[in-house]
Amino acid sequence: MTSAVLEHVGTASAPTRDRAPQAPVVDSGPMTDELAERRRLFQEQALPYMDQLYGAAMRMTKNPADASDLVQETFVKAFAAFGQFEQGTNLKAWLYRILTNTFINVYRKKQRDPYQGSTDELEEWQLGSAESATSSSSRSAEAEAIDRMPASAVKDALQSIPEDFRLAVYFADVEGFSYQEIADIMKTPVGTVMSRLHRGRRLLRELLADYARERGMTLSETATTRTRSTT
Amino acid sequence: MTDCGCDKAKAELEEFLHNELSAEQCQDIRDHMANCDDCSAEHLVGLTLTTKVKEACQEKAPEELRAMILGSIERLDARA
Repeated sequence: MTSAVLEHVGTASAPTRDRAPQAPVVDSGPMTDELAERRRLFQEQALPYMDQLYGAAMRMTKNPADASDLVQETFVKAFAAFGQFEQGTNLKAWLYRILTNTFINVYRKKQRDPYQGSTDELEEWQLGSAESATSSSSRSAEAEAIDRMPASAVKDALQSIPEDFRLAVYFADVEGFSYQEIADIMKTPVGTVMSRLHRGRRLLRELLADYARERGMTLSETATTRTRSTT
Repeated sequence: MTDCGCDKAKAELEEFLHNELSAEQCQDIRDHMANCDDCSAEHLVGLTLTTKVKEACQEKAPEELRAMILGSIERLDARA
């Protein structure tokens, strides 16, 4: 999936001046048309990613106010640099790169993340045992339990794993970025992406298994007995 | 048609899930899973996890965010 450029570039070949005069034109210098055109293109191509970027920003900052600020800042930076964006290349990945950079440079500093910066050095034992479920029938039960999990439990679990792992999982599983694209976004080698992804997913799986066990959504082979509801 | 065996399948299942393998490698894993309950159950766990994470993370930005962004961009225009 190396050339996963899924973005469809709009009808850029129709620069007719039928644009509604929604923006007050401040001065009518020679730059005005060019800027108006750039703004029009930006609104048409970049702004549709707002919800997606907000979703990522929520996973990064963990709260709606900071997420909104982060997305706004990202779009402002992206617009300022939009002249350098090469039309036809992957706009979504470009926007995510700006988002991630902005987050790391501005927001991460304000937040306390116990694992920050050292996630790649986490030892295996700190990550717990991977192969808790061994037989295929208990794996089937595990899949079933995960499937029945409420979205809030999945979000909580995702929110509680170390940031680097969380972002790798988010970029791969939610956004469907390739390993190479994630490597570019996170500015790290592909091998690191794979390791973060693997560890992140493993942690997530363990947290969800814990959740299921606490709720009596048993993962054992006797999983057919109906859940003792605690909610 | 070659069954790649459990060890190779387990090692590559995550890349398989994320579409990172070649068509040939994918076929090897599929061939193996067709005969291996353990690996296909493991793959199902992975697939379910991905689906659930994706579902859980769908967000809608607040209504006012779009207007705020457009506003900042216009101010940027004015300064340029």
